Amino acid sequence: MREKAVLAFSVCKEYQIGDFVVEALKDLNLEVAKGEFISVYGPSGAGKTTLLNLIGGLDKPTSGEIVVFGHDLGKHNEDFLSTFRSKYVGFVFQSYNLISTLTSLENIEFPIELAGKSGEYAEKRGEGLLKLVGLSHRAGHLPSQLSGGEQQRIAFARALANNPPLILVDEPTGNLDTETGLEIVRILEKLKAKGKTIIATTHDERILHLGNRVLQLRNGRIITENE
Amino acid sequence: MSELGFPTKDLARKKFQTALTILGLTLSIATTVFLVTFGQSLGFHVGIVAGGTVTPGFSYMFSVFILIVGVLNFLAGVLATSFLVSAAMSERVKDIGVMRATGCSSASAFSYFLTELSIMVFTSCVIGTILGILARSACISILNALGFSIAQTPLNTLSILVIFVAFVVAAHVIGVLPIRRATKVKPAEALSPIFSLGTTSAPKGPVPSKLGFSFKVAYRSLIRRRFVTWQAIICLAVVLTLTTLTIAGGVIANQTTQSYVERAVCRGVIVVGHPHITEQYEVLLSQPFEAKPTEQINYSDQRYMINESLVSELNANPEVRVDPRFILNTTIKEVPGVIINPEATEPEERYVFIGDHRVSEVLLIGVDPKVVVNRWMIFGAPLNETDMYSAVVGDSLAYGGFADALKQSFMFNERFDIKGIALDPLNSGWVVYVPYRALTGQTGYNLLLLKVEGTNRSETIAKLEETLSGTGLELLELNDALDKNLNFLGRVWSLVMILPLFSLGTATLCLLSYMMLSVTGQQRELGIMRALGAKPKTIMKMIFIQALIIVLVSGAIGITAGFIITWLFLIPEPVVSSLTMISITAWLLLALALIALTSLYPAVRVTQKSITGVIGQP
Repeated sequence: MREKAVLAFSVCKEYQIGDFVVEALKDLNLEVAKGEFISVYGPSGAGKTTLLNLIGGLDKPTSGEIVVFGHDLGKHNEDFLSTFRSKYVGFVFQSYNLISTLTSLENIEFPIELAGKSGEYAEKRGEGLLKLVGLSHRAGHLPSQLSGGEQQRIAFARALANNPPLILVDEPTGNLDTETGLEIVRILEKLKAKGKTIIATTHDERILHLGNRVLQLRNGRIITENE
Repeated sequence: MSELGFPTKDLARKKFQTALTILGLTLSIATTVFLVTFGQSLGFHVGIVAGGTVTPGFSYMFSVFILIVGVLNFLAGVLATSFLVSAAMSERVKDIGVMRATGCSSASAFSYFLTELSIMVFTSCVIGTILGILARSACISILNALGFSIAQTPLNTLSILVIFVAFVVAAHVIGVLPIRRATKVKPAEALSPIFSLGTTSAPKGPVPSKLGFSFKVAYRSLIRRRFVTWQAIICLAVVLTLTTLTIAGGVIANQTTQSYVERAVCRGVIVVGHPHITEQYEVLLSQPFEAKPTEQINYSDQRYMINESLVSELNANPEVRVDPRFILNTTIKEVPGVIINPEATEPEERYVFIGDHRVSEVLLIGVDPKVVVNRWMIFGAPLNETDMYSAVVGDSLAYGGFADALKQSFMFNERFDIKGIALDPLNSGWVVYVPYRALTGQTGYNLLLLKVEGTNRSETIAKLEETLSGTGLELLELNDALDKNLNFLGRVWSLVMILPLFSLGTATLCLLSYMMLSVTGQQRELGIMRALGAKPKTIMKMIFIQALIIVLVSGAIGITAGFIITWLFLIPEPVVSSLTMISITAWLLLALALIALTSLYPAVRVTQKSITGVIGQP
């Protein structure tokens, strides 16, 4: 039996919006093995992004437990979670979320230096990752000077900066055309081949087909699970 | 939606931003109104503390101080307005993009936001003016309760109106610029998730990597927001000029004016004369702070005259410097002067008469210029041994009895040309010093000023008392009167220095408002950094470094400008001891640290927000 990367037990997440309480996740249970690729799909508001945020330690569950690589994330403070994110998790956001004041290379160097590595190492590693995503020629460009597809590739390179075992990908092709989306699919294929644990929310069939398992989420619950 | 409906609803919806902008502007105008109206009660008509009066020379320095601080405060207020409106408009550019994308013209969007600006400016100006007037009344009442005597003069409505109009106009003129810039942005550009108003497209120059990644990120952020950064630097530079002027100018001016008094009275000087004369001299010296009535004395009365042999005997004592004088109460008559008008084209217009034939009641003092012990602060030239019909006049007489004293003369038996104007507290500056030998028919002295130069002062004084015994003359130390004068000046300065402290408080609040708007503008990126593993303290460090860079650059500009203004315009011949420099440095460092520390509050606020909430913001 393979080691578990992510364990979620009876996870509930509620948000208070004005006088209303919105239940984003309801009694959700999930196990993800190391090296597994999980594709998650579902309608808007199903709780896909909330699930990624909880697994990535960006948010805490209202009840239940999220254990990632042996760490119960609900029990730790913000400092620990920062270190956890830096060491274990690579995020790829739907809207890229690159830091607009930093160049492509600096965006990739940022998490490496946050992890306490030297500037020289960060630069070398950043250049290597830019090469991996085919954007070495864009090293000195700001996000505003890049296309959507290029920004998403930089976001992937940044997610891999500290060589994290877990990659969380939120609708990676949601804002891209079919052809540009294909470049992203290829990057995900490469990552899967490298044995990274990947959880990707998507509506893109090409990414759904990459998953070892495909989960359908609706109203905060997993309603189907296919291998 | 109507031209007024949208702006009012929009302002109400953006409560926090609106409140910050109104608060910043309100405080700026409140401080300016307070500064000018309170300054009028205090500085322009300095007449405080038991009805005493500061001579015009000193009063001039207070007035210049208040005027410069007032102008800088106004500039800081206007810059803060531009700054706050700029920051607010940077936040609204996406909303404007949405409005324009849905069919609203650039002119309509401009008109909506201009109305918003007008509502905020008028609200702030009305509240600020009322607060400024209330603060003035409260301050006067508090200071009077503490024992000072400050007149509740009627409000100068004209100056309040001028301030109100100036603020409204300046805030509109400067505030319109960022609105125009924001409404000119193309909708597609404005709606781009990475577009930010006032940012440059490319980073300028390399950042030394040795300074660390936090520095690099902070520096890049400042450079990218170059327009707003420069606005912040200019605004803070003006504030820091104000701070330097307040602290350095205030401390140096206080020390310098006290030094002028000390030089005019001369520390350690003893007066010798008939008890009537010495007591009268002490009262005359106390005029600035006590305004006691003086007695009518016939100074020429023979019983007041000092024996020539006694003067010779005292002169023979090597430990004493003797400055013999003849003083009398008299009147002098102004003689009109003639000046050349270089711009005149007609020969008959070339020479212009100044002054009148005013008669002034003065204390006239005949001195021997060779042995005068006082070292007044003199505008013009002091008396010298060769002078005959020349005079040095006190500052009150110069300003009150002449049109342009240094270009005029006066009549007292003979015609005397005025060589210099001395800052002198004696008889509140209504005093004239002439060479003793120019006093026709005068053959004796009625007062001696003795400067003890020996090492054993008490022994020397004992010897002097022995010499004077049986002569009917009295020996009186002037140090008490001098100290009272110095205390009085110190109290006046401490009152004057209250004023800019209020504007400093305002400036700090304005900066805090800016930092909050600035951090709000960056909070999505700060959230991304946290999502990537940046700890809250790393985020705080980055924000603090940004604030520190701004504070240090503006500090270098502002402090230099403050010192230049202090040296060039505020104080002639400033007195600066090493202790003064240490205290000024300490105060300035404290002010810089306080201003930089204000950035930590918005930094703490932003790190306490949830990452998902912050990143989720459009």
